Amino acid sequence: MRGHHPTMAPITTNGPYRATPDPEGDSQSSSSNSPARADYEESDFYTGNNDSQSSIGVPTFQDMAVSEESCEPPANRLPAEVLIGIFSKLSSPTDLLNCMRVSKRWARNSVDLLWHRPACTTWNKHGFICRTLSLPNPYFAYRDFIKRLNLAALSDGVNDGSVTALQFCKRVERLTLTSCDGLSDGGLVGLLEGNHHLLALDISGDTQITEASMYTLADNCKRLQGLNISNCTRISNQSMIAVAENCKYIKRLKLNDCDQLEDVAIMAFANNCPNILEIDLHQCKSIGNGPVHALMSNGQTLRELRLANCELISDEAFLTLPPAKTYEHLRILDLTSCARLTDRAVERIIEVAPRLRNLVFAKCRNLTDVAVNAISKLGKNLHYLHLGHCGHITDHAVIKLVQTCNRIRYIDLGCCVHLTDQSVTKLATLPKLRRIGLVKCSNITDASVYALAQASGRWPRRMHPDMPDHLAHYPSTGSSSLERVHLSYCTNLTLTSIICLLNNCQKLTHLSLTGVQAFLRSDLEQFCREAPPEFTEHQRNVFCVFSGQGVMGLRSHLNKLPLNHAYDPLANGPVDDDEDQTMTGTDHATLMMSAAALNADEDDADGDEELDDADDNGGASFNHGQT
Amino acid sequence: MSEGTVTKLTLVANDGQKMQVDRQVAEKSVLIKNMLDDLGDDAMLSAEIPIPNVNDTVLKKVIEWCEHHKADPAASNDDDSDSRKKTTDIDEWDQKFMQVDQEMLFEIILASNYLDIKPLLDVGCKTVANMIKGKSPEEIRKTFNITNDFTPEEEEQIRRENEWAEDR
Repeated sequence: MRGHHPTMAPITTNGPYRATPDPEGDSQSSSSNSPARADYEESDFYTGNNDSQSSIGVPTFQDMAVSEESCEPPANRLPAEVLIGIFSKLSSPTDLLNCMRVSKRWARNSVDLLWHRPACTTWNKHGFICRTLSLPNPYFAYRDFIKRLNLAALSDGVNDGSVTALQFCKRVERLTLTSCDGLSDGGLVGLLEGNHHLLALDISGDTQITEASMYTLADNCKRLQGLNISNCTRISNQSMIAVAENCKYIKRLKLNDCDQLEDVAIMAFANNCPNILEIDLHQCKSIGNGPVHALMSNGQTLRELRLANCELISDEAFLTLPPAKTYEHLRILDLTSCARLTDRAVERIIEVAPRLRNLVFAKCRNLTDVAVNAISKLGKNLHYLHLGHCGHITDHAVIKLVQTCNRIRYIDLGCCVHLTDQSVTKLATLPKLRRIGLVKCSNITDASVYALAQASGRWPRRMHPDMPDHLAHYPSTGSSSLERVHLSYCTNLTLTSIICLLNNCQKLTHLSLTGVQAFLRSDLEQFCREAPPEFTEHQRNVFCVFSGQGVMGLRSHLNKLPLNHAYDPLANGPVDDDEDQTMTGTDHATLMMSAAALNADEDDADGDEELDDADDNGGASFNHGQT
Repeated sequence: MSEGTVTKLTLVANDGQKMQVDRQVAEKSVLIKNMLDDLGDDAMLSAEIPIPNVNDTVLKKVIEWCEHHKADPAASNDDDSDSRKKTTDIDEWDQKFMQVDQEMLFEIILASNYLDIKPLLDVGCKTVANMIKGKSPEEIRKTFNITNDFTPEEEEQIRRENEWAEDR
């Protein structure tokens, strides 16, 4: 689960007992509440002494009395809270351990930082940690310092025996047991029983867990704010209702792939937990309209609602929402493959949730331009839009979308087969565009790629004064923001436009060109990523994806090819190592680019003889596989 | 922050030394800023502000730091990005500033703690943390002149109980 930010009242753990020899424990009582180590909370050693005239005097005085020295070493005069402040800057457990061994006072002030989140990263360390926790008479009460436990690194081998010693830790706030498939209720119940501090539990992938653990959770962990039971398909609906009724502070809930969960369970959360911020029901296939309606209408703080592959959901879920009420907090809505949805649902969604930022309607195949026009009303709020496989969409709607939603950073229009260069040319003007997905938009040509390449808006303006008017208002951001470009199965594309894209977009880290004939060349293979193992032989043959270093390698390789000296308009970036080539290439490339730009409003961008080189649609038959 | 005219405050160190400081500089100290807010400008601007826990040399040093950083944006109280910063990176000027003997280093830390100047306290803590990094317990004791008050058995017990934290 993601980082949770508990805003509830701080957990006060008054004076953890100290088994042996440090009865005075100077700093611990004040630092028992999660010291600085955590990444969501900062040590509060500063607070509380803002107005304290004695913040130096008292501890110093105390210490001096102990040592009875007038020439006290300066380090001993630091009050406990400052010592803790220093130790909290040490990130390595080894450094902290060395501090512990310096003196009793240093030990007292570093021990809970060290044990805040003990590193169960290897079985060796796990063994040492468990040995210490099982000691009858440890030097410190280590078990009470542990606020976070994470066994994900050991998941393969975790079973009930591996957590026996950890059951002593009753102040754990975050328990992460991701993919601990061997863990059963026997182990988990012990960890949960008697723990009233738990804020977040992640047992995703722990497939043996059943309702027994969930009832224990409900009985003990009333402060729970985050729960991830993805893939725990043995957990019953009744036990989840108990969790919902007892853990009313839940904010984040991830129930992916729990297809056993029915409407009653989700309704219980919607009705009992008013603080829900995020809920992910990906692939909860039994879920119908009721819970969606209830989550939306009850959750005035709901920020993120993910319903991918909840195939039963239909327009009714949204059309029945109370009129004249809006959900200003909703930012993220994922309705991937909710294939029953129509334009009517989208119109209603946009009406009630005007501040949506991320919107996913991939594979909602009924959607048409009407839906896209509704989405356009989100204006500047929209940052992320996925309309892959919404095959009815046309240029008209996309152009309108770009006009109003100019803050879009990510857009996927894969398999929107009607789209042409007109759409992409318009999309290229988005000043913050970082990712664009156009897989299988087979109508698009090099003109689209040239448009994307010049999205930076810098060179056409500077280098080509008689640029056409419709380009003159292109926002100039200084350099292209494009990072990921997906062009697989855009079979018309050629090397020349891609070289231009590579040279103009220095931030590019991902470029997919699977199934594009012009790129199925043996000399490019060295830069191409490995095909996923599950791919068939045929899919491997057409697989063509460049990422990270591969993009850089591809760029410099293509720039060295003899045929390309003309396609390198700008390359003064660090990658290009041949200045002469760059200079001679400039004029020609500029001409070519502007030709592409000029032709952008027509369907055909073959403004340059170089563009004829590659074949048109050699890859048309490779219409499966992925980018 | 003071608008337009620069006003001066008079600070008095614990050895009686007085110094005039721009209000904007002095307000890097949350302690002083709160006093100004509580007592009102008139009372503060005319009066001398005693800083009883800090001597003249240290106070000068602290003011030098505040002077250099007076234009820094005020750190919001629980800024997430800030609190997540676990690095012990220190900017160059601050590194030079902290190149003082250990006595002075700790005096600066104590003074910034008392005066509530978080960014300075932070730099101080980082500087000390950097002096600790990579050192053995004995080297740390030597560096800071700390007496080992553990019996050998106790020290061994601590080492054994925390063995998981050892580099291996």
